[in-house]
Amino acid sequence: MHASFLSQDNPMIRKIESVFTLTDDERQALENLPMQLAVIKDDQDIVREGDRPSRSCLILSGFTATYKISGDGKRQIMNFSIAGDIPDLQSLHLKVLDCSIGTLSTCRVGFITHEALRDLCERCPRITAAFWRETLIEAAIFREWLLNVGRREAYNRVAHLFCELLVRLRAVGLAKDDACDLPITQGELADAFGISTVHVNRVLQQMRADGLIVTKGTRLTIPDWDRLKEVGEFTPGYLHLEQPEEAA
Amino acid sequence: MSLPFQPVRVGNDFDEEGMLVFNSHHRLVAVLAHLSEDNEVSPGQWYLEAGFGRSNGPSHPTFADLDMAQEWIAQRLAYRP
Repeated sequence: MHASFLSQDNPMIRKIESVFTLTDDERQALENLPMQLAVIKDDQDIVREGDRPSRSCLILSGFTATYKISGDGKRQIMNFSIAGDIPDLQSLHLKVLDCSIGTLSTCRVGFITHEALRDLCERCPRITAAFWRETLIEAAIFREWLLNVGRREAYNRVAHLFCELLVRLRAVGLAKDDACDLPITQGELADAFGISTVHVNRVLQQMRADGLIVTKGTRLTIPDWDRLKEVGEFTPGYLHLEQPEEAA
Repeated sequence: MSLPFQPVRVGNDFDEEGMLVFNSHHRLVAVLAHLSEDNEVSPGQWYLEAGFGRSNGPSHPTFADLDMAQEWIAQRLAYRP
């Protein structure tokens, strides 16, 4: 199924518009970008390490994880992606994928051929710059995660990730006030933090007891944003959001 | 390989019932904790709280019983790259 999206329904357009105002031509080009829509269930790979994709995947709803697997089968998640992200945008220029991307929840995605993306980039240099900027921010997130996983205690790591996800979800209108839907299991958090699920569970229980988080099903509520930020040593600069008040 | 066990109280604030595990030379190689019913992921299982020497590393598995824990630790101790 091919479809085009009006600006307000397309999280990629919303995201680009948070950085600069699109001209009519640019908006038209994005709205007319041919996209093959698909619904992918949870725990499915969208692309795998070693693939040579001819298209990239825009996430319209749901959560995905970018990950690699060690020789003895252990998974390290290095990023979570949300609506508006194109987690395999790099495959436009890097022919062989060096990581896998899988769904954590049921995702609605739009596959955009590299041909269509190249054509868009040739016609709209500011959109090319926006895509470049996105991949640079993704690299900044990887750097921050390396610090988080390598040097912070588990309790602070978890606080940092919750801060990051809440700010990113707010930026695309998916978090209201200090609450969001977070369909990430404790096993997936363990794979992101490089610790055991038992350790993740103890940390979450401690955070609940300390009043830092409230969880109900997949709903995460942050009762005291300032305290969580302090515990997670979270400063949103590396996300390079254009409206810093959203991250405050 | 049968490894000597010794009960211990673990101060991890969650699962107090624990077991010290020694090698055949009576050197401490691991600390196991028995996960309480409050644990939301593996209640009732034995958890490798800490490993030393060849039991050390990023893996902190859980085991259905102490025999399985012992088997895993013995394998780690016997491992030669």
